Amino acid sequence: MILSTVFEAGISIQYYVILSAILFSIGVIGVLIRKNAIVLLMCIELMLNAANLLLVAFSSYFEQSDGQVFVFFIMVVAAAEATVGLSILIMAYRNIRTVDVSLFNQLKD
Amino acid sequence: MEAIIILFSTGIVSLFIAMTRKPILVLLTALIGVTVTAIVMSINWYTPMQWVKYDGIETDYFTIIYGATATLFSFLFILIGYSKFSKEVYHTGDYIAILIFSLCGALCLFSFTDLFMFFIGLEILSIPMYVMAGSNKKNLLSSEAAMKYFFTGSFATGVLLFGIACVYGALGTFQLKEMSEAIAAMKNSSALLQVGMILILAGFLFKVGAVPFHFWGPDVYSGSPNVVTGFMATVVKLAAFCGFLRLFQLGFNGLDGFFVEILIAVSVLTMFVGNLSALRQTKLKRLIAYSSITHVGYALICLLVKNEHTPAYLWTYFFAYGFSIVALITVSMIVNDENDDIDRYKAFARTNPFAGFVMILALLSLAGVPPLVGFFGKYLVFSSAIEQYPVLIIIALINSGIAIYYYLKVILTAISKDDNAEKSTVSPLHAIVLSISMFGLILGGFVTFWVN
Repeated sequence: MILSTVFEAGISIQYYVILSAILFSIGVIGVLIRKNAIVLLMCIELMLNAANLLLVAFSSYFEQSDGQVFVFFIMVVAAAEATVGLSILIMAYRNIRTVDVSLFNQLKD
Repeated sequence: MEAIIILFSTGIVSLFIAMTRKPILVLLTALIGVTVTAIVMSINWYTPMQWVKYDGIETDYFTIIYGATATLFSFLFILIGYSKFSKEVYHTGDYIAILIFSLCGALCLFSFTDLFMFFIGLEILSIPMYVMAGSNKKNLLSSEAAMKYFFTGSFATGVLLFGIACVYGALGTFQLKEMSEAIAAMKNSSALLQVGMILILAGFLFKVGAVPFHFWGPDVYSGSPNVVTGFMATVVKLAAFCGFLRLFQLGFNGLDGFFVEILIAVSVLTMFVGNLSALRQTKLKRLIAYSSITHVGYALICLLVKNEHTPAYLWTYFFAYGFSIVALITVSMIVNDENDDIDRYKAFARTNPFAGFVMILALLSLAGVPPLVGFFGKYLVFSSAIEQYPVLIIIALINSGIAIYYYLKVILTAISKDDNAEKSTVSPLHAIVLSISMFGLILGGFVTFWVN
């Protein structure tokens, strides 16, 4: 009963903006404070997904399909990025036997 | 559009040709493909071809100028890197094809008219570079550089995308033309638009390595293989700058108010941090990295000036900068030193007079000494902004003065006497590239006059 009224009324756009801003912030904070490279990769995916959510929400708000098409582009790019990122991680792991980013400190002044 | 398709096919074809295990065939395919791309682009200049209809891409005068420059530099970098690529017979095709794919992304960034193509172009430009930064697989420094580049780059992508999503929310369109109309029609500025623009600006500053977000630059530049460092400093920077200049000018009607203040602060900080850190560097590639941060600071001035000539001035600046980097990277390939110390270049100009001469020209051009092409780039950028922002230009001039010190230090090392110095061998390809960049450095100024 309550659920059906919520769906009929629709969820207003502000909630989507707030939710995606929260997701984005979690992603950014995760990238800044975590040390494990795999977790970093996941946090970056979270940032991309926050952008996806916002685009889909605005797309349905404006009743256009542009935003949804953009989301497909982002998904493809995210997949490509994850592929490259994981291969770089494996290559680095073979050289140094760890994925802790704070141990990658050979390059400095 | 035709040029991008031809270039992309060249990349694919050279991957297949690499199966013959004959590096020279791959090199020839790639060079022919890149040359054909440049020719197709210049034909487009006179009579636009319409084989493929797509609204996301529009060829104009500056697309062709920027595209030809990026193509020329990629051509030179494929030539420079060939001696290194061909050592690994199984991977020659991969290296060359990845560089060509990255150039495809650059061409998208020179001609986009909507945010789809902008985003796709930026990613096609960046993702191959993450791979190339780590192409020296057994080397710990190279994988560290790749890892740092990948994480900072994809973080910047995330920030940029969130910015694009906010801008879409505020304007309801991805087309640059409709975006600028929507902004012009807007009565009160919307908070969503401001947030989106700030995030896009932050993504941009990340990608080009301006100061609050510059920390990855020197590490990535010094860890990557030499050719990749050069490619990142010239083609990638040129493409990123052109792409964002297009976005800000065509999409957002130029930056004003609050954004101008941010950009002035970033520009000044970038110049000082780059210069002061470069003063104490002992490795050539780190020096190049910090000096490239400084040059980004100068080039940011272009974004502040609302003027129809701005793209031409920015082009001149990166055209001049690119030739110096090509020459310096070639010299560092000739010396081929693992540690890349500047001391290793002692007496280089005495043992190899021609290569040494071009190296000195390149450094003088970076410093902006008058007859060379670097002077014209600096002159045009500074003179275009001097009326609006006199203090900024004075700071930029002071910084050019500081920069002369570390360039001269390298020159003095190169011409100093050392009896034990050995003559390095210069391969024919490197000699060709050095001659081309010498002509570029000396005569480039006239080309820029002709274009302007």
